[in-house]
Amino acid sequence: MENILECQNLVKFFPGCLALNSVNLTVPKGRIVGLLGPNGSGKSTMIKLANGLITPTSGKILIDGMEPGIETKKMISYLPERTYLNDWMNVNNMIEFFADFYQDFNKQKAYDMLRRLGVDPSHRLKTMSKGTKEKVQLILVMSREAKLYLLDEPIGGVDPAARDYILDTIISNYSEDATIIISTHLIADVEKVLDEVIFINQGNIVLTSTVDDIREKENKSVDALFREVFKC
Amino acid sequence: MLKKLLKYEIEATARIFLPMYALLIVFALINKFFIAVNADYLKIPQVISATLFVAIIVGICVMTLVVTIQRYNKNLLSDEGYLSFTLPVKTHTHIDCKMIVSLMWAVLSVLTSLVSILVLAANDKTMVTIQQVFIDCINLLNKVGPGGYMILLESLVLMVIGVLSQVLSIYAAITIGNLSSKHKILLGIGAYLGFGVIEQIITSVLASSFEGTISRYFESLRLAAVSDQVLAAQYVLLALVIYMFVFGAAYYFLTNWLLKKKLNLE
Repeated sequence: MENILECQNLVKFFPGCLALNSVNLTVPKGRIVGLLGPNGSGKSTMIKLANGLITPTSGKILIDGMEPGIETKKMISYLPERTYLNDWMNVNNMIEFFADFYQDFNKQKAYDMLRRLGVDPSHRLKTMSKGTKEKVQLILVMSREAKLYLLDEPIGGVDPAARDYILDTIISNYSEDATIIISTHLIADVEKVLDEVIFINQGNIVLTSTVDDIREKENKSVDALFREVFKC
Repeated sequence: MLKKLLKYEIEATARIFLPMYALLIVFALINKFFIAVNADYLKIPQVISATLFVAIIVGICVMTLVVTIQRYNKNLLSDEGYLSFTLPVKTHTHIDCKMIVSLMWAVLSVLTSLVSILVLAANDKTMVTIQQVFIDCINLLNKVGPGGYMILLESLVLMVIGVLSQVLSIYAAITIGNLSSKHKILLGIGAYLGFGVIEQIITSVLASSFEGTISRYFESLRLAAVSDQVLAAQYVLLALVIYMFVFGAAYYFLTNWLLKKKLNLE
């Protein structure tokens, strides 16, 4: 199985809105992929389907050849676009929690990153600012040695300085056969780490390409191409 | 995995219940002190603390129900659900965990309330009375024979199954409510009331179709020997246990199916 993620005629219908319109897509292993599209284009929907948080209306989504289930949850490290931390815990508790449930969780890595980003692990999550919570969440997610990372808007809420550090950790942390899918509209910031891009709009895949191809054939940056494709 | 989930679920809920229990015992002791002193100039604080004691007991009952609803809704179907449902845990394990912990707090709440009342009421005279009642109960059970113990056991099982079945019907209702994108609470309450109506209908259909048999059976019991009456009570309890179990199981499977196949976290 060469593809870590595969969508087959994937349709997701919400009352009054077609979020994904018969999407066919394959993502090979070992790449850093940008899932790029304007707000409400279906990025989060696709990621949530991969995590089994919502169920497809029709079609299939396969992770390493399997439909979402207990085995796929073991290999996916997911960063949702909202904070899901139990607010009565402190960061230490949260790290224990992750270590308890995920065998691939590396505590040392988590504590190193917390130190670098200046987050005190004894602080309660309830008292933290939104940005700090997002940092903690990202640290927890990136401290797993997962096969597939699904990062939904990972840098939206953090300051630019932390952004660079986070992107550096994303690239330096991941192993050869791991895949990272980053959904975002902050393209300029993530462009330098991406191998491939998927443009999505109104539930349809508009374009899939490697970043090198875009640069060579179109002679443009991904950001410039995005602005062109999604021109309002 | 159930063990790990239970650990965190108990931790999350103990923060709410243990202080309440401690407060209740403290107020039982305060009331005990006032009763022991029984001075006229302490009448007002005595009345206040007695009122508070009752209020805390009521509060604990309400809290038990509220926490059951809130933990399920918050931890599985709100933002925290994003974490809960991405843990490598089977869906039914989440239900098992929530249900077991709810049962545990329901039992502990009742026990703590009883203990607090015992603390409040305990003096030489009441202790003798309680002892006497206890001895009388044992005597009665011995007179009835093993059937008596069976009835006691069945009653306990019925209570446990009753609580679980009730909790599961709440879970099923909340899960159904969550299917709506706009009116979650309304649909949840509607589903809960709907369950009540369905239970009523099934009960009355069953009761009316077996009406003759049931009344003949109880008629014949009036003249029967004590041992037969005890046996009849056992059967009735067993029937109730099965009845509750069937409904509980239906709610359990419905909830599990909905969470597995129809989950739609916002």
